[in-house]
Amino acid sequence: MAITRAETYVIPFGPAHPGSGNFRVWLTVDGERVIEARADPGFLHRGFEKLMEYRTLLQASVLTDRIAVFEPLNWNLVFALAAEKLQGIEVPERAKYIRVLLAELTRIQSHLLWFGAAGIAMGFDTVFKVALTYREEILRVFEEATGGRVYPTGYIRPGGVRWDLPEGFLERAEGVLRHIEYHLSDLNDLFFENPSFVARTKGLAVLSPEEGIRLGASGPALRASGVPYDVRADDPYLVYDRLEFQVITRREGDALARFLVGRDEVLESVKIGIQAIRDMPEGEHAVKVGPFAKVKEGEAYVHIEAARGDAGCYIVGTGGRTPYRVKFRGPSFTLLIPVLEHLLQGVEIADVPVVYWSLNHCPADMDR
Amino acid sequence: MNTATEEQRTHKAAKRLIRALWVFNWFNSCGFTELLPVVASRFDMERFGMIVVGSPRHADVLFVAGYQTFKSAKYLRRIYEQMPDPKFVVALGSCPFSGGMYWDSYNTIKHLDEYIPVDLYIPGCPPRPEAIFHAVGLVMEMIEGKRKGGRSGD
Amino acid sequence: MVTEISKLLEPFAPREEGNAVWVREPLEEAPRIWQELRELGYDYLAAISGVDWPNRGVIELVYHLWSLQEKSFVHLKVEVPRDQPRLPSACHIWGGSAAVNEREVHEMFGVEFQDNPDLSPLFLEDWEGPPPFRKDFDWRAYVREKYYCEDREEDRGYYKG
Repeated sequence: MAITRAETYVIPFGPAHPGSGNFRVWLTVDGERVIEARADPGFLHRGFEKLMEYRTLLQASVLTDRIAVFEPLNWNLVFALAAEKLQGIEVPERAKYIRVLLAELTRIQSHLLWFGAAGIAMGFDTVFKVALTYREEILRVFEEATGGRVYPTGYIRPGGVRWDLPEGFLERAEGVLRHIEYHLSDLNDLFFENPSFVARTKGLAVLSPEEGIRLGASGPALRASGVPYDVRADDPYLVYDRLEFQVITRREGDALARFLVGRDEVLESVKIGIQAIRDMPEGEHAVKVGPFAKVKEGEAYVHIEAARGDAGCYIVGTGGRTPYRVKFRGPSFTLLIPVLEHLLQGVEIADVPVVYWSLNHCPADMDR
Repeated sequence: MNTATEEQRTHKAAKRLIRALWVFNWFNSCGFTELLPVVASRFDMERFGMIVVGSPRHADVLFVAGYQTFKSAKYLRRIYEQMPDPKFVVALGSCPFSGGMYWDSYNTIKHLDEYIPVDLYIPGCPPRPEAIFHAVGLVMEMIEGKRKGGRSGD
Repeated sequence: MVTEISKLLEPFAPREEGNAVWVREPLEEAPRIWQELRELGYDYLAAISGVDWPNRGVIELVYHLWSLQEKSFVHLKVEVPRDQPRLPSACHIWGGSAAVNEREVHEMFGVEFQDNPDLSPLFLEDWEGPPPFRKDFDWRAYVREKYYCEDREEDRGYYKG
């Protein structure tokens, strides 16, 4: 019997694959080339927005740690800002600077984890070990300030922060920031300027700026295509209008550009963190908010720059003890479904993990 | 289905597992963030011979790190059935035991041992890397026969 | 507020707050206003949120639109009746981000978007109940029946309240 040309078939790039996260993509392949991709989310769906309707504001701030498991303090922050805008609470200055410092530290450790996980999916195991070693330094700092290594038990809550920083914390935090700034160049030889990494990522999965805006991308993935959209600069919250930093963009829009934007952003975050340490005033760390405070009538929408992009929270209150409706806009929601399906067309199977990890994403904040 | 008896699991061949327990790559949900430092160099698990493998047929230990949703529990069951005996299931966190923080969620399962038999539960949210190593030590004691596994729903 | 936007939205009594504008528009005017706002530079659809108001008999959809040039938000609200939730899709205006948001609202609230090519379930697999985010879905009873068992001693507490 003659062997005729093979037809296309569908394979899952699934949750138990060594190169993927908790997320499945159905790839329609012809030989080795992907023709069409279809995302299949929902492995981590917990119904957060429904859970919030049964918890008071302070109880809900503990729950927000776990929306996007790699950057818990940023999600604490977005919920706290939305609740404060709804209730009309003004936070003291010292609390704002503490929040900025912790948010930038979270961004750095999230990017380091991104590089590590991308390295292990692409075959660079040493990068994983090196990046996570530097991340451990930051987790030690978090444990000292908040009590939890990865989940800070709702440290940033409506009204301020839970407790003040310990003695000598600021010197230790500055030491850790300088240490990471100095050692980030270790990753250059291993990863970013490694010829085999550059050969694998250069020119792959180019995202044009118009497509990026139409499909809802944000964060490093959009800035690597030339669109300078950074919520810290465009719509400043906390004290970002008083701090000096640059918005990093690149023009190529391929996978290599996305990683390089991430690397340069770590250096910018170190600069912001050191400015926050230097300018931190003395004062109160929080305004008292009662545990059963009534949620006022009204609505509010707040967005911040999380490590992965534009994260938003929409809260509606009707005067009860719990909010009427809370909606979270996760940056990975649009990065993982429309953008990934668009970028995976025409890519070889062996390049699918590279494209997948070059968009800085987290399936947990897609599913919520 | 699990057909190994208690004697088979502590058989001499199983004792060789103490040298190297291979872990399956089912890094799901919240406990994932504390399993990655266990693999990395500060709390290195490779010094005990444990590596992360991609195929369920190569694995000895399945770490269920946190909550499982109704959708992922189906695949967890399928992976558990594909792992060859002797095998151990270690449940991390408070979510597999009682539902944890998502006790009133409509999509997460509350008791993991209704779906797959569990040998060991580790408390914490998430458990620290030191607690995970303590659990590995307990698994090794189970292999040597010094401790009875808590296999329920068998 | 910039003059073109104020001319467009003035008939609907918008509310300004900082750099954001909140406005509610009737269902018939919605597609026209979406098209005009898109041409005025509001080309980034951040999210579509659904809110269920059973006492008023409507499901309210809020479109959060951001303009990269003006650096400001417009939050557009559209109301659809609860027993017949149907409205035109915004996919031809905002593309992929509108398509996936509408898919989520369809799954969670049961709202039908005409001309959206793909409204298949997104997060929930084999879901038999009503749309989960509606207020008349008694989720505590659902969880109690599906996941807890009265014979187990540790579950007794869940049955008390």
